[in-house]
Amino acid sequence: MTTSRDPDHLIRAFLAEGDETLQDQVYDAVRAHIEDTPQRAGSGAWRMPIMNRIVGFGLAAAAVVAAVVIGVQLLGSPGGGLGAEPTPVATPEPTPTPVPSLAEPTSSADALLPEGPLLIWDSPAEDAPSITMTISAPGWIHLPQFSAIEKGEEVDNMPEAAVLPGSLPPGSGFYVSGDPCQWASTKPEAPATTVEEMVAALAAQASRDASEPVDVTMGGYAGKMITLHVPDDADFAACDGGEFVSYTDEDGEPWNWHQGPGQIDDFWFVDVEGSIVEIRAMYRPDTPAELVDEMRALIESSAFDFP
Amino acid sequence: MHEELVRQAQRGDAEAFDSLARTVGDRCLAIAVRILRDLDLAEDAVQASLITAWTELRALRDPSRFEPWLHRILTRACFAEARRRKRWYEGPRILPVAGAYGPDDYLTVDDRDLLERAFRRLTVQQRAVLVYHHYLGLSIAQVAERIDIPVGTAKSRLHHASRALRASIEADARTTPPPQERMA
Repeated sequence: MTTSRDPDHLIRAFLAEGDETLQDQVYDAVRAHIEDTPQRAGSGAWRMPIMNRIVGFGLAAAAVVAAVVIGVQLLGSPGGGLGAEPTPVATPEPTPTPVPSLAEPTSSADALLPEGPLLIWDSPAEDAPSITMTISAPGWIHLPQFSAIEKGEEVDNMPEAAVLPGSLPPGSGFYVSGDPCQWASTKPEAPATTVEEMVAALAAQASRDASEPVDVTMGGYAGKMITLHVPDDADFAACDGGEFVSYTDEDGEPWNWHQGPGQIDDFWFVDVEGSIVEIRAMYRPDTPAELVDEMRALIESSAFDFP
Repeated sequence: MHEELVRQAQRGDAEAFDSLARTVGDRCLAIAVRILRDLDLAEDAVQASLITAWTELRALRDPSRFEPWLHRILTRACFAEARRRKRWYEGPRILPVAGAYGPDDYLTVDDRDLLERAFRRLTVQQRAVLVYHHYLGLSIAQVAERIDIPVGTAKSRLHHASRALRASIEADARTTPPPQERMA
């Protein structure tokens, strides 16, 4: 080796040599392992495995939950190309206006969503409605793995503002635990299948500081809104499974998770032709009031369509 | 590039994840084998990192960031392998010279032996910095992200690792005659 040669070049040449092909048996071993290994529910991020919701109702295959921008927001209107004028927002009346067939997700999970109507919940069930909201301010991003949208900065995995929608077929319901900390051991025998039952069960939960439920009208349908707090001194580690869970599905799998002490959740429950629509606004005590108002206005813009 | 596969895999599609793994596997192996300097350990590290990636995939918020995210997992897996099985201290086998770039005429057999010895004297953390910087051509900031360390630490590790390798090369140059003299 001579001193005239560039050491960095030697290092690069040395590193350029070596194996490049991973053996098939490694892939096979990985495949065999993952077939029996469930994915964690967004560990390190949010505690909201939305797939559990869908699988719990046996609709996994059909449920590609994607935020889809209606009109020309990303892909153009159904009959038009890019640059066409936006399609008007779906009417607030409960008419079964078909959702334009733009079943493409946003280009990136964290892509900023354009202002305008957004199909935020693409219902996997024919008898449960899809939900469209109208985004009226910039800064919202799409989190496809949670079928949620979010705005602002997360602190300790707790979003500054996030919206999570969902809907259940008629007759289905949630099992509202008596205590969200001891959620597994206080799961009730029967689900809450009406808006009134849901709100009453949540308001009666131990270790919560529920607001007085208020009547709301959303998309032409009646419902109720209730605000819940995770106590500041909540010790998640002492809770069932280390989680704080308001309600579960029939199998006892958590339907929603709370991120940490101090979290605030506004829950809207609306009866849409027998189907419970659940929309949740998640935020922190330090979330600016204007952002909370913006989020609530976004939710109250909801319109419902059946697939 | 793999965003749709990532999204499908995040929804629990094992077939999609398998396709994804086959897309990125060779590159992962290339990185791991260069960090660990042992093919068996590298394969184990890649296998472990792919399984971890599957398990944790729903925590990845931006599918377009899949590969940097995977490399971070891979780096940790390499470090874990290095801690668990320090086989290279016991006389590792020489890596085959069959890379995509092929043997570089710039390197002599003596060069390879020297660099192999020098490389093995580095810590696995130093090797990781060199591999990401010199092999993948990443910036210091990108290297820091892959290894999950501060940029300043990455810069420091790169400096010390490069200096150690250069010292070995220069020491060898002082004791070994140039090729033409050896041929004479």
